[in-house]
Amino acid sequence: MFSNHVSNLSSAYWHNELTPPQSRRVAEHLIGCSRCRAEFEDVKLGARFAEQLELISAPESLWAGITAGINVEAAPSRRFQFLRFQFLKPIAIAATLLLLIGGGLLLLLPRRVDNQTGWQVARLGGSPRIGSESVSDNSRLGVGQWLETDAGSRAKLEVANIGNVEIDPNTRVRLLQTNNSEHRLELARGRLSARISAPPKLFFVNTPSGVAEDLGCAYTLEVDDAGNSHLRVTLGWVALQLRERESVVPAGAACVTRSGIGPGTPYFEDASEAFRSSLSRFDFPADPSSQASALHNVTREARPRDAMTLFYLLPRVNGNERAMVYDRMTALMPPPDGVTREGMLNLNPQMMERWQGKLGLTWGRSLDQAAKTWRKVWSSALGSLNGLQGKR
Amino acid sequence: MLDQIVAAQEQPVSNESIDWRVITRCRQGDRDALRALFEAYKDRVYSIAKYSLGGDEQMASDVTQQVFIKLMTRLGQFRGDSEFATWLYRLVVNTCRDEQRKQRRWVPLADSAFMTATVKQTQTAQYASKELARQVQRALGELKPKLRWPLLLRYVEGLSYEEIGKVLGCSKGTVASRLNRGHSALSRKLGHLRDQLGPE
Repeated sequence: MFSNHVSNLSSAYWHNELTPPQSRRVAEHLIGCSRCRAEFEDVKLGARFAEQLELISAPESLWAGITAGINVEAAPSRRFQFLRFQFLKPIAIAATLLLLIGGGLLLLLPRRVDNQTGWQVARLGGSPRIGSESVSDNSRLGVGQWLETDAGSRAKLEVANIGNVEIDPNTRVRLLQTNNSEHRLELARGRLSARISAPPKLFFVNTPSGVAEDLGCAYTLEVDDAGNSHLRVTLGWVALQLRERESVVPAGAACVTRSGIGPGTPYFEDASEAFRSSLSRFDFPADPSSQASALHNVTREARPRDAMTLFYLLPRVNGNERAMVYDRMTALMPPPDGVTREGMLNLNPQMMERWQGKLGLTWGRSLDQAAKTWRKVWSSALGSLNGLQGKR
Repeated sequence: MLDQIVAAQEQPVSNESIDWRVITRCRQGDRDALRALFEAYKDRVYSIAKYSLGGDEQMASDVTQQVFIKLMTRLGQFRGDSEFATWLYRLVVNTCRDEQRKQRRWVPLADSAFMTATVKQTQTAQYASKELARQVQRALGELKPKLRWPLLLRYVEGLSYEEIGKVLGCSKGTVASRLNRGHSALSRKLGHLRDQLGPE
């Protein structure tokens, strides 16, 4: 009978987590039931694989960060402060309820574009338009509104108080969101130049082929009619992302994205034409069989400065191709201390990090640190005034 | 209550009794006591953070630091009605979950690639064990969190089903069921590597 089967007890039986009578029942059942026996063997095999997980040693350096963090937290005073204001809890709950009810009523009112919280728009030439209206001296771009320039017009957007975006001719952009934690534009086509002075991950531009995420920088982003984009970074870093595919582009470098595929591999703009065209054929192959020869050309044409591109290619290729890319990297630039070829071919994280440092690509850690510092500074100095906070 | 328990323990020998004494000192703001707790649990906290965050060392370090900072500031909320380790692991699980939510769009290129890259390398006997562990980690990373957490708590922390249930806020039966499904999933994903496992 089905209810007599014991496969749902397999793990508990294997781990000796059953009572003695239960264990006996399972053991007796397994002798006679081939189905439950097969499932038990399956669980046992999975358990043997799971036993391969080992305890990992934590880095000693963690302690310094903990003590620094505790100094900031000032634990005891917080606890007592909390207790002192316990009586305010019911009032806070009541206030929250009122806000929720009020918010709900507001949602029931007819919605309109919020021009007051939008961005100020300046006309730089020609007749840029917001919707059907021409941009005037006091125009603002509200959330949800499109700003469009024709062949003879240009405009400038003030991104809250964190920077500005210049809109070139034949461009169509829409403000998607602007609040304390996120400012987001959509670039449907055309070109914009952004200059942002804010914590990383506060300003984003959506394009049809990916999202450009500001990491404290200046850059130009162009989208063609097919939805493909071209990013050029002049200061700082920009991350381009589409689903799981992401490229982080440093100053002086560029990156192309393709609609439906996402970002390619970043490259320095002063790389040779042969290098760039081969990289493009590798990233977005019209014929997959030509990808190997394109990669071969990329490695052949690479200069020492192009080791950055080769580094970012390592995780994107496998086996012999990875070995070829890595050997070319080391021919162009001696590897850092403590790095082995075998480790790099296995994408050893510590060794990859050492190479990042050697290539000056330490954006991950330094920007993360910078983001934390920014958050502290902004939240303490300006936070109470404008509430700006970067995202992690 | 804690003080009474501590006072009742004259010569603590088990880890748990040492914890109680240290916990009391920690609650009084004693940094040396926190350091002792850190030394006792750092590898376990770091391991579970690293495994649950897809092998990302930087994120695992951040989470480990957050856990011990939270531990210092929230220890006052620990009433002693559960094991300290259970309370700590609950803090670890919640901090990892928060971090995953925060980091949903912020995964460094190289690190995310480490997780998704298909490495086709020759399986030599010398590196087979390391490679197998890496494959297990990857398979684990592909499981749904609700199946992954019980496996981590069982195999990395060595918790019983009851303890896992307390950490994850579910029944012992649910833990058994999720472990069953987790084991079966690992078996399916890694079955082709069974020859690399040693004898039973």
